[in-house]
Amino acid sequence: MTIPAQRDRVEELTIGKGARLEELVDRESLSQLAKSFAELSGVGMRVFDSEGKLLADASLPVELVTYLTSLKHAKNAVESTVSAVKNLDPGPAGQASIDGVSGARYRVMALEHDGRRVGRLVLGPYFPPSLVDIPSALIELEPALDLDRARGLLVMAPRVTDEAMDRLARHARAALDVVMFSGLKALLTGSMHLASVRESYRELQSKQDKLQVAYDRLKELDRLKSNFLATVSHELRTPLTSIIGYSEMLLEGIAGDVVGEQREFVTTIREKGEQLLTLIKGLLDLSKLESGTMSLRRGTLDVAPLVKDVTQTMAPHAKKKGIVLQADVEAGLPALWADGERLRQVLLNLIENAIKFTPTAGSVRITAKLASMAAASGADEGGLVLLGAQRTAVEFRIADSGIGIPESERGRVFDAFYQVDSSSTREQGGTGLGLSIVKRLVEGHDGAVRVEPNEPAGTVFVVAIPLKRSTLRP
Amino acid sequence: MQLDFVNRELTIKLVYYGPALSGKTTNLQALHKVAAPGSSGRLMTLETKDDRTLFFDLLPLSFRSQSGLAVRLKVFTVPGQVIHASTRRLVLQGADGVAFIADSRTTETQANTDSFMDLKENLREHGLSLRQMPLVIQFNKRDLPDIRSDEEIAKLGAQGREPVYLAVAMRGLGVVESFIGLLHLTWSALDAEHDLGRKFGFDAREFMNGVAKKLGEQRGTDELLAACVGGALDVLRPEVTP
Repeated sequence: MTIPAQRDRVEELTIGKGARLEELVDRESLSQLAKSFAELSGVGMRVFDSEGKLLADASLPVELVTYLTSLKHAKNAVESTVSAVKNLDPGPAGQASIDGVSGARYRVMALEHDGRRVGRLVLGPYFPPSLVDIPSALIELEPALDLDRARGLLVMAPRVTDEAMDRLARHARAALDVVMFSGLKALLTGSMHLASVRESYRELQSKQDKLQVAYDRLKELDRLKSNFLATVSHELRTPLTSIIGYSEMLLEGIAGDVVGEQREFVTTIREKGEQLLTLIKGLLDLSKLESGTMSLRRGTLDVAPLVKDVTQTMAPHAKKKGIVLQADVEAGLPALWADGERLRQVLLNLIENAIKFTPTAGSVRITAKLASMAAASGADEGGLVLLGAQRTAVEFRIADSGIGIPESERGRVFDAFYQVDSSSTREQGGTGLGLSIVKRLVEGHDGAVRVEPNEPAGTVFVVAIPLKRSTLRP
Repeated sequence: MQLDFVNRELTIKLVYYGPALSGKTTNLQALHKVAAPGSSGRLMTLETKDDRTLFFDLLPLSFRSQSGLAVRLKVFTVPGQVIHASTRRLVLQGADGVAFIADSRTTETQANTDSFMDLKENLREHGLSLRQMPLVIQFNKRDLPDIRSDEEIAKLGAQGREPVYLAVAMRGLGVVESFIGLLHLTWSALDAEHDLGRKFGFDAREFMNGVAKKLGEQRGTDELLAACVGGALDVLRPEVTP
């Protein structure tokens, strides 16, 4: 498992080497805090990180010190004190003081966070009240010193007892402690947030990978199934052709007279054989369509003769069931660019279906007319102008007055093997392959097929086959 | 565990795991309350508006052994709510020992089981097995009605491998006992693996007694450890014994 960087960050902040002072405090706010401390106490405050970098500076000008820096020798002494303060290690006790040549005192304190030193706090300069006069060391050091002026400035300098400084220092440290704690909390929250998001993402990604593998495997299985169907259908057809052929020869009397019940039985064998052959052809068609190996033999196709042909073919079947079969073709329809045999198969299938599900004395009506259809799927949700223009199509409507299809089932009737009534006691036979073949054939022509309810009862199957753009009338 | 040889500093990560609202944060609050000021840092809680743990709580404790080794204990809780699964896994990362805080109420039995399975699964994700992880189980909320009986817990505890403690974390009862039990197991496992005692001249017994004292306990380690019902405290987890 890869470890996201943010998780390392959380670990480093909590059980690792911890945060640096600079990460815990906002420098601008730290400067304001230092300034406010200096205003309150009259003593300057500076904050350094563990590497000695100055993070906040709120030093207050002390006139005595300013005066001393204007003098040659005293200036050097003041500067060396300041430099000593900068580098003073507060030692194991965590605090130390340093006195300058002028008697000015600085307090240096360790800043600790989570038991570790993260920086230093420097308070000063201030003068202990016990200092009543300019130290003799300074007088000896600086011959140019104006002693009266220096004494006057010492009176005005900030005076703080060591006890008071202890309290001030404790207060400053406590305030900084709160700031650092809040800083760490914010830092941890942020890092943890990022780490959590990354972890969730990683988890999703790994699930997604597993799903992808499963999906690829399913697709492969589906392909194998189609191949299997094609092979099996082909292998079944060969012996079946012999069964049908020999039964026909028997019926023709080639092997001697077939009489009475013998004729009846052989006829049944032949009929059932043909039924089986139709079913197997359907399976073969489906697998060819699924594997994309079925090619359409397109040519110019007139609609009126096609409709007339399928109506005539199905008329005896309808008559036998006492159903009225009507056809109505709009005059002047342009020719289609289509595979006549396949389109015939589509219409026959739909009409046969319609007759099958229509009770005696019902009606089945086939109409053909010009209509428009969306060229690209999804255009009905809007954006048609972008998704493609409407195309003109010939629309075949096969309407029956049968039992109808519930709305919830309409989307699924085109799935292979799907039966609205899949119970073993269902009234109507069939393999459930017809409509899925219809759909694939129609789509092979860039067309579309859908189901609508018929009024007052029954179903309408609508097949739209688009015209070639060049055959459109102006 | 993080070991800093230069500064003689050892950092140990302990994680309080368990179902939502079983009292993990309450355990840390109770520890924080009894810990001596110099031993405990601020208790940090990263929580949502309604006081539920969002990422974790963190209580830093630090002790110094007589040999001069600084032992820093970082005690974490995980967020118990089911939705924070990925956060729990993150917090569990690098844990040296786990205290599982179970809710004693009979109605919560399933939630305890689910959370325990979640712990097991998350350890597995980190390439660890439950058997390798120093673990104590605490049955919290012993003061509530409709809880699983002492007898039942004692009977099951005696059959299991983990020390089981009874607690009322709200009142601080059983909290230190559970913690000392966890620290004892964790230390023993780390010592067995890294030979810390010899490397640092570290006396574990003296150290544990010191910790107990810093947590306001008059009782010694042995007495605190003996408060458990069932389980094995002698680190007798064969997998980690050298």
